[in-house]
Amino acid sequence: MTHPVHRPGHVGARFPKVDGAGKADGSGVYADDIRLPRMLHAKILRSPHANARIRGIDVTLAASYPGVVATLVGAEMPAKYGVIPWTHDEQALATDHARFVGDEVACVAAVDERTADEALRLIRVDYEPMPALLTVEDALAHPEIKVNERAKVGNVTKHVELEFGPVDDAVARAAAVCHQVYEYAGSTHAPIEPHCAVARVDGDGNLTVWSSTQIPHYVQRELSRVLGLPQSKVRVIQPLLGGAFGGKSDPFSLEFCVAKLAMKTGRPVKILFTREEVFYAHRGRHPMRMDVKVALDGDGRISAVDNKIHIDGGAYASFGLVTAYYAGQLLTGPYRFGTYRFDSTRVYTNKPPCGPKRGHGSVQPRFAFEVALDEAAEQLGIDPIEVRRRNFIGENVETVNGQRITSNGFLKCLELVEEASRWTERHGKLGPGRGLGVAGSMYISGTAYPVYPNEMPQSGVLLKLDRSGRVTVYSGASDIGQGVNTLLCQICAEEMGCDPRDVTVVAADTDLTPVDLGAYSSRVTFMVGLAAREACEKLADKLRAAVAAKLGCAPADVRLELGTAAGPQGTMSFAEACQLAEAAEGATLASTGGYRTKKLGGDYRGGTIGASPAYSFTAHVAEVEVDEETGIWTVRKLWAAHDCGKALNPTLVEGQIEGSVYMGAAEAQMEEMIYDRSGLLFGPSLLDYRIPTSLDTPEIDARIVESDDPNGPYGAKEAGEGPLHPAIPAIANAIHDACGIRIRQLPFYPQRILQLLRERDARRAGSERVA
Amino acid sequence: MMTLPAVDVLRPRSVAEAVAQLAAHPGARLLAGGTDIVPNLKYGMYDTQHLVALRGLSRELRYVRVEEPEGEIRLGALCTIDELARDATVQARLPALAEACAQIAGPQLRRMGTLGGNLCLDTRCVYVNQTYFWRSALGFCLKKDGTACHVVAGGQRCVAAASNDTAPVLLALGASARTVSPRGERVLPLEEFYLADGVHNTVLAPDELLVEVRVPGQAASLRQAFHKLRMRAAIDFPALNLAVALGVTEGAVRSVRLCVGALAARPALVKGLDDLVGRPADRRLADELGRRAHKQCRPLTNIGVDPGWRREVLPVLVRRTVLRALAV
Amino acid sequence: MSTGHRRKTLVRLLVNGEEHTLAVPVQRTLLEALRYELGLTGSKQGCDKGDCGACTVLARPRDGSGRGEPILSCITLAQDAQELALTTIEGLAGPQGLDPVQRAFADCGALQCGFCQPGMMLSARALLDQCPRPTLPQIQEALSGNLCRCTGYTKIYEAVEVAAGLREPASRPPVSSERAAASDQVAHVPKEIAP
Repeated sequence: MTHPVHRPGHVGARFPKVDGAGKADGSGVYADDIRLPRMLHAKILRSPHANARIRGIDVTLAASYPGVVATLVGAEMPAKYGVIPWTHDEQALATDHARFVGDEVACVAAVDERTADEALRLIRVDYEPMPALLTVEDALAHPEIKVNERAKVGNVTKHVELEFGPVDDAVARAAAVCHQVYEYAGSTHAPIEPHCAVARVDGDGNLTVWSSTQIPHYVQRELSRVLGLPQSKVRVIQPLLGGAFGGKSDPFSLEFCVAKLAMKTGRPVKILFTREEVFYAHRGRHPMRMDVKVALDGDGRISAVDNKIHIDGGAYASFGLVTAYYAGQLLTGPYRFGTYRFDSTRVYTNKPPCGPKRGHGSVQPRFAFEVALDEAAEQLGIDPIEVRRRNFIGENVETVNGQRITSNGFLKCLELVEEASRWTERHGKLGPGRGLGVAGSMYISGTAYPVYPNEMPQSGVLLKLDRSGRVTVYSGASDIGQGVNTLLCQICAEEMGCDPRDVTVVAADTDLTPVDLGAYSSRVTFMVGLAAREACEKLADKLRAAVAAKLGCAPADVRLELGTAAGPQGTMSFAEACQLAEAAEGATLASTGGYRTKKLGGDYRGGTIGASPAYSFTAHVAEVEVDEETGIWTVRKLWAAHDCGKALNPTLVEGQIEGSVYMGAAEAQMEEMIYDRSGLLFGPSLLDYRIPTSLDTPEIDARIVESDDPNGPYGAKEAGEGPLHPAIPAIANAIHDACGIRIRQLPFYPQRILQLLRERDARRAGSERVA
Repeated sequence: MMTLPAVDVLRPRSVAEAVAQLAAHPGARLLAGGTDIVPNLKYGMYDTQHLVALRGLSRELRYVRVEEPEGEIRLGALCTIDELARDATVQARLPALAEACAQIAGPQLRRMGTLGGNLCLDTRCVYVNQTYFWRSALGFCLKKDGTACHVVAGGQRCVAAASNDTAPVLLALGASARTVSPRGERVLPLEEFYLADGVHNTVLAPDELLVEVRVPGQAASLRQAFHKLRMRAAIDFPALNLAVALGVTEGAVRSVRLCVGALAARPALVKGLDDLVGRPADRRLADELGRRAHKQCRPLTNIGVDPGWRREVLPVLVRRTVLRALAV
Repeated sequence: MSTGHRRKTLVRLLVNGEEHTLAVPVQRTLLEALRYELGLTGSKQGCDKGDCGACTVLARPRDGSGRGEPILSCITLAQDAQELALTTIEGLAGPQGLDPVQRAFADCGALQCGFCQPGMMLSARALLDQCPRPTLPQIQEALSGNLCRCTGYTKIYEAVEVAAGLREPASRPPVSSERAAASDQVAHVPKEIAP
C-alpha cells in the first residue's frame, strides 16, 4: 500500500473558518433570517392523540378567519415519502391516521404567525382515538394494532439477524462471560436553531425552497415526488445552518407545506418551528434494549459477542432500516472478535420518530459492549486498558463481518489517554468516590452506497478559475457548522497555490452546485474532499502547463504556492498564471471532480451497510467523582484521543472531538425523551429537556491522532461522530472504579446511582454476615 | 416562533399609579423582569388584556437600605436578583440570601428578574408550564383550563410548586413583606404571605403590589445557609431548595428555622423545632434537623425530578447545609 | 376570537446608538422587533422562552449610566424596552473592525454552527467589561445562560481567554500513529437468520 505524499501547507493548518466573520458579526444568513416581499407565515396543526383514525378535517372556519390566506390538508399532497426509498411511510400532513402526539394534520398560511396560530384553533378534526403502543413490548405484543401500515409483520420496521462464526460454541468454551442487559434512553439533537423553511414559486413555476436541512439533494427529490413537479423545477438551498447533528437529515413536513402553500397562493411562505415542534420532528437517538454476551478466552481475547437488540423507533421509519443494521454492523472494531452475532429489531411505536443522531445506531451498542467488556475482563483480573490493547484488530484487516479496515490508530489513541490520565498510577487507586474508566470505539467515514441505488458519484465538485485570480468552488456539500466550506478553501489553496482567502465557496444549492448526498454518516470531508482534490489537480495541471510554456520549463518544475506560480527561472502571480491558462484553454477555466463509490463490504445481504472506505478510531478515559450519600456524580475530566487519519484543520477537528465528547457526556448525565401514559412527550422545551450548560460540561482534553489513511483525502477520515461513542461507557466504567457499581441504564440519574449504591451496601453487609 | 397574545402595556411612573391601574383593569398582571410572566403568556396561561410594567418604578423600588438603630434591612421589590447577589450589605448581613440569588436561573435572567418577581413567582408544575397545545393534549388541569390534577389523583387543590429560591431564605430569616393597594399599605410576615393553593399562592389582592421586603436586624447575626438541588448548575428551577437560620449563643441553639421549597404551593417551614432550643449546635443537631425535614416533607411529581429520590436526599442536604451554616 | 394582535403601537427603541420609532403589534417582543422590524437578524431565536440565551442583547439605561448587562430579548416586550439603550451583535464591532471577542471566537474555532454565538459573544463582552482578566470559573459562570450544542464550550473558553489577552490560541500538534500489522482476525461468512 502506498500512502499519499503531501507537502505541509494549507492542508493541516489551523485556518480560520471562511464563514467565521459572518457568524461573528451577525451578518450570516440562516433560514429564519430570510424575509421575502409579501411573505406569508404558516403554522401546522398537530394531533393531540398518540394513535387516532382521522375521520374528517374541516378547515372552513379557519379559511375564513381574517388574515388567513390559505389552508392545507394532507389530501392535497397525499404521496408518501421518506429518506430511504424502501420505507416511504410518512405524509407531510396525515390524511387518515395520526400516529403520535404532535403528528402533523393540517396547515394554515396567514399574514403573520399569530393569525395562523389563532386560525389553527378553528380547524375541526374528527378523530377516532385508538389504543397507543408506546413501548417495544406493547408494539410486539399487539400486531393487530398498526402504528404504521408500512410494517409487513406486526409493528416491525426491520429485523436483522446475522451470525458470523459459531457464537454459542465460543461462549460455551469461554473463560469468562459477561451476560447483562443494558438500556439506552432516547435523546434528541436539540440544535439551537429550530427547523425553518421558506418557499417561493416564480412565474415559470420554478419552486425554490430555502431550508435548514443537511440533505438538500434528498429534499429536492422528495419535494419533486410529493408535489408532482419535475426535479428540474425544484431548487433547494441550504442557508447557514444552526446545528443539526442528524436532526435535519430527513425531509420534514414544513418543507412540503411551505412549498405547496407557495404554489397555492403565489406568495412566499415561511414556517419556523417552535421549540416544541422541534421535539415532535425529533429523529433522535433510538431507545435500545440490549441483551449482551461478551465472552473472553483465558488470555482475555474476545471469543464471542452476542447482542440481541430491541429498538424503539417511533411512528415512522426515517433511517430506521439502516439503524437496525448499524446497531450490529458497526461494533466489529477496534477489537478482534472470534465470533459475532446480532439480532436487531426496530419497532414502530406511537411516539415521535427516532432517526440518526450523531453516531447513528452504534452509540447504544457501543455503550453496552464497552461496559460488558470491562465486566468480563474484571472476572479475569485484566486491566481495562490492557484488555483493549490485547484485542486490537490491527490495520489492513477484515473484520469478523467482512468490513475492510485500512488505517487504524487506536493503539496510539489508547496510549495517549492512558498517559494523559496517568492511568497506571491512578486507576483503582483514587480512593472512595473517585475513579477512572476507559472505552474505545470505531466509526465510519461515509457509507459505501447512497441511500437510493445509482451509479453516479456520491459527491461532485465544480471548480471555476477567473482571470482575476479568484477561485470559485461549487459544492453540493452541507456545511452544518463542521467546516467543510473551510476545508474546500484549504484544499484549493493546497493544490493550486492560490491564497485561501481568494476562494469563494458556493455550496448546497441544487440549482448551482453539483450533487452531494448530504451531511450524514460522517461522509462529507472524506468524499467531497476527494472530489475537490480531483478537480483541483486537473486545473493545477493546466496552470502548470501554461506557466511552463511561458517560463520555458517543464510543467513538473512549476510550483504553485502562496499565491504565486514559480519556475526555476521566474515567478508570477497566481492571477497571471490563470490568465495564461485561460488564454491557452481558449475558454473558461473549469474542472470537475467526483467521489465514486467503490465496491466494499461483505458479500451477503446487508454486508454493504456499515461498509465504509475508512474507519476512525477513538479512545477515552473519564475521571468521575461520586457523592455516595446522594448519588450525584460529576465528570471531572474526559481525555479523548481520536484517530482522524489526517487533521486537515486541527482546530476544526478538535472542535468536533470536543463537541462529540460533550454530547456523549450529556447523554450519560441527563438527556432523555420521556413520555407520559398517553404518549405525550414530557416538557418539550429547553427548560424541561435539559442540555448541559457550561457549568455542567466536563473539562475535555482532545487529542488528535493521525494514521494517514490510504483512501482518505490527504489521509483524512471522519471526526464528527466517532468521538461521541466512548464517552458514555468510559463514564460508566469510571463510576465502577469509583464505587464498585455497574450502571447499565441511561441516563445515569443520581437516583439510579444511589439505588445501586444501596444494593452494593446490602450485598457487602450480606457478605460480611456470611463471613 | 411561539407567539404572544395581544396585551396592552401600561407604564406607570409611581406605585400609586401602578396600583390604580391594577384596580382599573381587572385581570391586569404585573410585568417586572418578565422572566416568568412572558413565557407563561406565550403558553396561554393567562387571559390578561393588560400588563402593568414596573420598569418606571425603579427609582422608587430599587434599593438596599439598613434602618438604624435596629439594623432592619429593607430591600426594594425591584432590586434585580443579580444586584442582590452582588450587594455588599446583603452579602455581609444576609449571606444566605446572596447565595440563593446567585443560584437563581442564569446570568441574563438574574439581570432581568427582580426580588418582588421571585417572591411572587407563579407556582410551577410539569403539567401546567407547557404550551396550550400540550396542555390541550393532556386534557388541561386544575390550575388552568381544566378540572383534574395530574399530580395527585383525584386532587381538588392545585399542588403546583413554589419554585422561588428567595422565599425559603427570607422565611427562615423571619422577613416581612410590605404591600400597597388602593386601600393603603400593610406589612405582613412572609409566613402569612403564602397560601397552600397552587392556583394563586399568595394573599395579594389583584390590585395589590409587593413593594418591599423587610428583614429584622438580628437576622444578620444568625448562622444561615441555603442549598439548591437542581439537575443543571444553571438555568434550572429548584428540584428542592432549603434554607436554615440558627441563632447560636455559646454553642447552644437559641433559635432555629428551617424552610424547604419546591414541594407544593407553599414553601414549607419545618414545624415543631422549639424543643431544639438550648441543644448544642453540633452535628447531632444537623442530623436531627435532617430527620425532621424528611418526616415532614413529601416531594411530588409536580417537578420532573424523581420525588422518591428528592425525599431520600433531603436529610443529607439539610445536614450538610446546617453544618455549613454552623461552619463545623 | 379577536384579532386584536394586529393592533399596533408606536415604540421608540435605541439600538446600537440609533434611535428607531416603529409601529409594532402591541405584543411584539424585543427579539421580534429587532429581527423582523429592524432587520437585525444577528439576535437569534432558539427556545422561544428564555431558556437558551441565543437572543441575548446588552442593555443599559438610556442615560448611558452603568454597563451593558446581558438580557434576553425573546422574553422582553418591545414596549418595555423603550427605556433601555441596547447593543446587539451588529453593534459590537467598532470603527476598528470586529471586537476582540468576535475576532477571538473566529480565530479559535469557537464558532461552529454559529447560531448561539451572537448571544454568547455578548455575554462574554459583558463579562470582560466587568472583569477584564476572568478566571475559568468566572467565564463558565458568565456563559452559563447561553446554551451551545456544538462546541462543548471548550473553544469558547479559549476564545474568551484569548480576547482577554490571557493566552494564545491552541496549537498542540497532532500525534502520528505507527503502522500496525493486522491481527489474526478471521472474517466469517455469515449465517443469515433474518436478513
